[in-house]
Amino acid sequence: MTSPISNLRTLILLLLVSAPLCFGQEQDITTRIAELKRMEAMEPENPSPKYQTVLACLNYAVMNPHAEPAERLLAEAEQTLGQLEQMKNADPSNNCALRGYLYMVRIVQDPATNGQRYYLDVQQYFEKALKLNPDNALAQQLQQKFQEGMRQAGR
Amino acid sequence: MSREFGGLVFRVHFCGMKHLLTTLLVAITATFSAFSQTRIDGKVSDTHGPLIGVNVFVVGTLDGGITDSLGRFSFTTQKSGELTLQASMLGYEDYTRVADAAPLRNLDIRLREKAATIDEVVVTASTYSMGKSAQFKTLDALDVVMSGNSCGDIVAALQILPGTQKVGEDGKLYVRGGDSEECQTFVNGMHVLVPYSTNVEGQNQRGRFSPFLFKGMSFSLGGYSGEYGQALSSVLPMETTDVATGDKLGVSASLVDWNVGGTKAFRRSSLSFNADLTSLGLYNILFPDRNDWTRPYRKLSGEAQFKAELSPRTVLKSYAGYDWTAVGLHQDGRSLSMREHIAYANVTLNSNLSNNCTLFAGIANSSVLNDIDDALVAGDHYHNFRNEVHLKADIRKRFTPAFKLTAGLEDYVRNSRKRYEEIGYDLGYNLLAAHLDANLRIVPHLFLNLSLRTENMSGSREWLLMPRATLSFVPGDRFQASLMAGRYSQCPADDPLARSKGQLRQSLADHLILSLQYSTRKTLIRVEPYYKLYRRLPLLSEGRYVAEGYGYSRGFDVFVEDASLVRNLQLTAAYSFNDSERLYLDYAMPMTPSYASRHNLRLTAKYSIGKVILGLADSYASGRVYPAGTTPYYNSLDANITWLAHPKVIVYASLNNILGRTNIYRINDDGSPVAATRDRFFYIGIFVSLKNNKAYDISNF
Repeated sequence: MTSPISNLRTLILLLLVSAPLCFGQEQDITTRIAELKRMEAMEPENPSPKYQTVLACLNYAVMNPHAEPAERLLAEAEQTLGQLEQMKNADPSNNCALRGYLYMVRIVQDPATNGQRYYLDVQQYFEKALKLNPDNALAQQLQQKFQEGMRQAGR
Repeated sequence: MSREFGGLVFRVHFCGMKHLLTTLLVAITATFSAFSQTRIDGKVSDTHGPLIGVNVFVVGTLDGGITDSLGRFSFTTQKSGELTLQASMLGYEDYTRVADAAPLRNLDIRLREKAATIDEVVVTASTYSMGKSAQFKTLDALDVVMSGNSCGDIVAALQILPGTQKVGEDGKLYVRGGDSEECQTFVNGMHVLVPYSTNVEGQNQRGRFSPFLFKGMSFSLGGYSGEYGQALSSVLPMETTDVATGDKLGVSASLVDWNVGGTKAFRRSSLSFNADLTSLGLYNILFPDRNDWTRPYRKLSGEAQFKAELSPRTVLKSYAGYDWTAVGLHQDGRSLSMREHIAYANVTLNSNLSNNCTLFAGIANSSVLNDIDDALVAGDHYHNFRNEVHLKADIRKRFTPAFKLTAGLEDYVRNSRKRYEEIGYDLGYNLLAAHLDANLRIVPHLFLNLSLRTENMSGSREWLLMPRATLSFVPGDRFQASLMAGRYSQCPADDPLARSKGQLRQSLADHLILSLQYSTRKTLIRVEPYYKLYRRLPLLSEGRYVAEGYGYSRGFDVFVEDASLVRNLQLTAAYSFNDSERLYLDYAMPMTPSYASRHNLRLTAKYSIGKVILGLADSYASGRVYPAGTTPYYNSLDANITWLAHPKVIVYASLNNILGRTNIYRINDDGSPVAATRDRFFYIGIFVSLKNNKAYDISNF
C-alpha cells in the first residue's frame, strides 16, 4: 500500500521527468509545423502539406489536450482545414476524417461540455469519410478509437 | 537513404569505390555549399513586443528558423542572389520581403495583427443562433427537448430567450411588443405560412416542426438583413440537417404522442420519413382539466425529406409535411369542432460555384384548410383555405476578404378563400421583392452591413424601399457592439385586407437596436435596448380597414448564460422590459396590446450527473392589460429529467407548473377571468433507436 507521501514523491518525479519531455515535445511540434508551413509555401496548390499540418496539430493536441500550445495548434488546424476544404484537388474523404478528428480532440479536451455537443458530428464525419472512401485508413482507425472510447464512457 | 535539402538531393551509397567517389563528391559539395551559405538573422515583434514562435523562412526552400523568447531568429540558406523572405504566424499578416540574400542581417521585422475577414466574424446582435453556426451555442435539438417547459416544442423552448413574451393562451412567439403574426418562420430559407397547428383557446399551439429536423436555428429578434421580409418584428430561419451518413430507425412514445421515423442513407443522398400521432385523449382521462371535451386534441403528421449532394459543392434539400388536426369541446352552449389540414413542401438548391460565389434557389408551397363548426353560435360553419407559393433565388459573392455582396429576388403568390355562413371573400395577390446586401469591413474590427429591400404588392403602384444597416465593432472574440437600424414591412392579415376595399397598404416598422455582448467560452452576457416605431397598421374605421394605425414598442433585453460556476451546471437568466402602445384593428384609442406584458423573466438551470440531466425553469410575466382589468402576474416553475438509459434509449419526463398556480390569461369584457384549462402538465416520453450505429442519437424526428 502506498502512503500519500510516496504518492507525492512519485508525482514530483513524474513532473520532473515530464517537464523537459513536454518542453521538448513543444519545440518538436513547433519545428514540425514550421517545416510543413514552408512546404505549403513551396507548393501552395498541393493539399498534402496542409493535410500533414492539420494531422500534426491534431495528433499533438489529442495527446496533450491541456498543454499550452494545444489551443494555438487547434486554431492552426481549423484554419488550415478550412483552406483544405476549399481546394478542388483535396480528397473530400480525408477532409471529413480530419473534421471528425478536430471535433474528437475538442471532446478529449472537455468531455463534460463538448461530449454532448460534438459526439454526433464526430461519428457523422467519420461515417461520411468512409462512405466517400471505404479504404480511408485514418478514418477507419479514428472511428474505431472513438467507438472504443464511447463504449468505455457508456459503461 | 535520401534527404532533401532545398531541392538538392544527395544519394549516399556505402560500397567500395563508388562509396569513395560519393564521399568525395559529398565532401566537395558540402565544402562548396558551406562557402555559399548565407546567414539571415534578426528579430520579429508586433506593437506589444517580441513575438515567440514566428516561422521565418526563404520561400521555395525549407531553410528557415523560429523566433525564440526574445523574438530572435537566425538561420542559413544555400540560396544566393535574390530571394523571398517570409515571416508568418497565426493571427498575423504574412510579412514578405524580396531582397538580395547578402544584406539580410539584423532584420527588424514588425508583424501586423491580421484583421478578421467578414466570413470569420459572426455578428450576433439581436440574434440567438443555435447549432454549430455560432461560436457560443445556446440551444440545440436536445436542449430544446430538455428545456424546462418545452415538451420538445421549438417555440416553447425559444421562450427561454429574452425579448419573447409569455402569452399562455396560445403559446405562440410574441417578440418585443409585436404580435405573433409579426414573427415569421423559414425552413432552409423558404417561408412557412403557418408554423403552428391549431388548437382551442387556452391551449398551447405547438410548433409544427420537430427540433430533430434541424441542424441550426437563428432566431432574430429584429434588425435582420434584406434577405428576410414580410415580418415586422422577428424571423426564425431554421436549416435542416445535412445528407445523412447512416441508416436509422426509431420510435418514441409518451402519454400524448407516438412517433416512428427513419432514414435510409445512400452514397450521396438520404431519404427520411416520420409519422406522428398526438392525442390528448388518454391524458384527459388520466388528468382531467376544466374543459368539457367532445373530441380531444388529435394531430396526425407525416413528413419526408430527400437530400442529395449532387456534386461536392451542390446540395439539394427537399421537405414535405402534412398535418391533420381535430379538436372539439362544449363551450358556451355550443359544440365547437375544429379541423385543420396543413401541407407544406419546399425544395432548395445550394451550389458553391467557383470564385467564392454561391447560388441559392428554392420553391415552397404552403396550403392550410380550416373548418370550424359552431364557431360563434350553435349551427354555424366557418371555412378558410389559404395557399402561398414562395419562390426565391439568391446569389452571393465574396469579392475580397473585406467585401461580400448578396443579391436576391423573391415572389410570394397568396390566395385565401373564407366563408362564414353566406358571407366571405376570395382574396389573391402577388408580392414581388428584391434585395441587395453588402457586407464590408471598413477598417479592422469595424464591420458594416448595408442592405436595401424593395417590395411591390400587386394592385399597388407603390414600390417600398427599405434601407437597413448594421454597424458592428468586434475588437476580439469576447466583445461585440452593434448598432442596427432598418425599415421592415408586412402585408396585413387576410381579414383586414379583404375588408379594406383596396385601401390597405403594407404595414411598416422601423427598428433601432443597440447590442452589447461579452462572451467567454463558458459565459455570455448580452444587453440590448431597442425602439420600434409602427406605421400604417390596419385600423377599423367606419366598417372598413384603413392603413392609419400606428404605435411604438421600446424596452431592453438582458441575457446571461453561464457554465463556469459549478461543473456540469448551466444557468441562464433572461429579463425583458417592454413598454408598447398601439392604435390598430378595433382599438378605440392607443393602448398597450393585450398580449404585451411589461416585465418577463426566465431562469433556467441544467445539471448533469452521469447519465442523468436535471432541468429547472421558472417563467414570470407581469400582468397584461385588458379594457376590463389587468391580469395577475403569470408564474410557472417547471422541472424535467432526462435519463440516458442506454446508448439507444433516452427517457424524458417533465412537470410544468409544479407549484400549481392558476394562471389567468385574459379578462373578459364582463370582468370574468379566463384561466389556464389545467394548472399542471405532466409529460413522460421514451425515445428508442431500433437501428442506428450512433449512441444517444434520436433516430426519428
